[in-house]
Amino acid sequence: MNDVIAEIKRDYIYELAKRSERADGRALDEYRPIQVEVGLIGKAEGSARVKIGNTQVLVGVKVQPGEPFPDAPDTGVIITNVELVPLASPSFEPGPPDENAIELARVVDRGVRESGAIDLSQLTLPDGKVWLIFIDVHVLDHDGNLMDAAALGALAALVNAKKPCERYGYGPDAPLPIKESPVAVTAVDLDGEIMLDPSLDEETIASSKLTVISGLQGALAGMQKSGTGTLSVEEIARIVKLASSKAMQIRDDLFGGSTDG
Amino acid sequence: MKNGKRIDNRLPNELRPIKFEVGALERADGSCYVEHGGNKIMAAVYGPRAVHPRHLQQANRAIIRYRYNMASFSVEERRRPGPDRRSIEISKVSREAIDPVIIKEFYPRSTIDIFVEILQADAGTRSAGINAASVALADAGVPMRGLISSCAVGKVDDTVVLDLVKEEDNYGQADMPVAMDVRTGEVTLLQMDGHLTLDEFEQALELGKIGCASIAKMQREALIQKYRGEEDE
Amino acid sequence: MKKQEKVDKTIVVPGDLLSEDAAKAAEGTYVENGKVYSLIYGLADEREKVRVIPLSGKYLPATGDVVVGMVSDISFSNWKVDINSPYEALMHISEYPRRIESSEMAKIMGVGDLAIFKVVDVDPSMKIELAPREGQLRVLRSGRVVEVSYTKVPRVIGRAGSMISLLKSKLDVNIFVGKNGRIWINGKVEDEDLAVKVIKRIEQEAHTSGLTDRITKLLEEEKHGVHEKR
Repeated sequence: MNDVIAEIKRDYIYELAKRSERADGRALDEYRPIQVEVGLIGKAEGSARVKIGNTQVLVGVKVQPGEPFPDAPDTGVIITNVELVPLASPSFEPGPPDENAIELARVVDRGVRESGAIDLSQLTLPDGKVWLIFIDVHVLDHDGNLMDAAALGALAALVNAKKPCERYGYGPDAPLPIKESPVAVTAVDLDGEIMLDPSLDEETIASSKLTVISGLQGALAGMQKSGTGTLSVEEIARIVKLASSKAMQIRDDLFGGSTDG
Repeated sequence: MKNGKRIDNRLPNELRPIKFEVGALERADGSCYVEHGGNKIMAAVYGPRAVHPRHLQQANRAIIRYRYNMASFSVEERRRPGPDRRSIEISKVSREAIDPVIIKEFYPRSTIDIFVEILQADAGTRSAGINAASVALADAGVPMRGLISSCAVGKVDDTVVLDLVKEEDNYGQADMPVAMDVRTGEVTLLQMDGHLTLDEFEQALELGKIGCASIAKMQREALIQKYRGEEDE
Repeated sequence: MKKQEKVDKTIVVPGDLLSEDAAKAAEGTYVENGKVYSLIYGLADEREKVRVIPLSGKYLPATGDVVVGMVSDISFSNWKVDINSPYEALMHISEYPRRIESSEMAKIMGVGDLAIFKVVDVDPSMKIELAPREGQLRVLRSGRVVEVSYTKVPRVIGRAGSMISLLKSKLDVNIFVGKNGRIWINGKVEDEDLAVKVIKRIEQEAHTSGLTDRITKLLEEEKHGVHEKR
């Protein structure tokens, strides 16, 4: 019952879209207020809480020594998981990650991995072990656009993280080898109008959603189209251009142009 | 314990610092974030709402469901997500701690779902979770006879102490979480793990009552403050 | 909001002692050993009787209530309607003013359509039956619906309808306030925007005194600025 949207609400949102307007008064390419707070979970080696409007996610990064994959003995390991815990939305049910949670985790993971954000070759340890990096996204409040919030939280938590070398006798603690700064920007297509940072309603009504992850120089590190609608090549090009420049803006606003957190 | 002070310098009958934040979430019907010592816990309530699957519903009253869950990053060594046997037991006793005060008869054929997420754990999570859950239930407008307050008492170095911290929990001699409706003194949760003489148990229960009473005051204050805060915006 | 707005009632939580006189117990309270206690988080109203006005909670329908509902499903002989309550309500095909076939139901009111309904029956197991409010079925085909907590509806209406009359006279929109907290607004988009803003403000400040005056003032101020937006 939660997933049925009133027809008149649908009509209203489409009406506004036709006039390049949005229900909450934002411009088409405007994000809701973004707040990032790091280091709040002391037990985690890195953590960040991201709010985009009312959407809220908490990301914990745990760094522990462990066994590398047999086919990549000199490479650190990244494992990303997203928990859509039931307290975040009336439509989330308890249980193992469903396809939405898995998609979110895999896209965030791709963004971190493909952008080369962490130099995995620098995560080897003397005894043949490597550092395992667990990125755990815990969604707390779902009001649309979990993807961007999760990706931003992952980046902020990684930048905040320290390798717990002292605890395991590997010398002094040190930050992770962060080489890139992938930022995800998600757009929805509402009857031909492109909007960034979809609200919950916009996301529910839109037929297509496209997430673009780009790095420091604007190079693309990941993309994901979701939803049962279609996008023309021209629309995709438009979104990619819009998303890359928006990502730079977000990165500058939050990290001041550098990845020093 | 040294000179009557504990590992974190507290007295035997002293609670760790506690902070409640009511209504921390937007989507949930009621919510409460609590920091209790190093514990960071988010509790949320959805309901009363329709029960799915329908066969779980009760014709003449609401059912209460409680899910205690620990985030992977909440503990020292990263934890695999999902319920383990400990979480399932804690969910059960926590639900049984709060259920008695809820007026379930007002909402036949529905469910009141309580979710407690442990974002950072530092001993006493089930008690802190119950405290947050009670406040979240009030925030959601659920009718109750009273708020349930909980704390853990234990024994360290042969002394009965209130509100164990992680090290005390690991190396102590007993751990006894307790929950009650402070107004009536009715105990709704009682577990004990360890070794207590009958005498020590009575001391522990008394200490627990005092701890719960302090917490009840804080829960009440937090709810009243939320309102005051809204007024002063 | 300035600090001089004050609440003229006490905030109470479940279990708070309200009175030693059991005879005074009214809604939102319970009696134990001859004393009256609060059942909910709310505002204690201690005039003749002692009652607690809820600050939050779910809407429970009562016979006679008029609500704004949304069709969530259609079965062979019933429209299933979401009335923003833990309970789904049903409008039987026979309640429609003229005789229709089951196959015509979706055309009259489909999934996602909103309409104004009257609650005609609520049985002990909370089975809820709806009918059109009076004669014609009023399906809402335009405008917007704002949702507020049902607990704030009395404030949107005001004592003897004072607040709702104020809104209807100063705002250029049709307004219908459902008992279930759903308020339908219909007019030009800018006017609807203002109406939504005012209603949200009433919801936030429902418990304070002097609200009607402040809303009157807000409406005056906004009226002058409203056509400059959008």
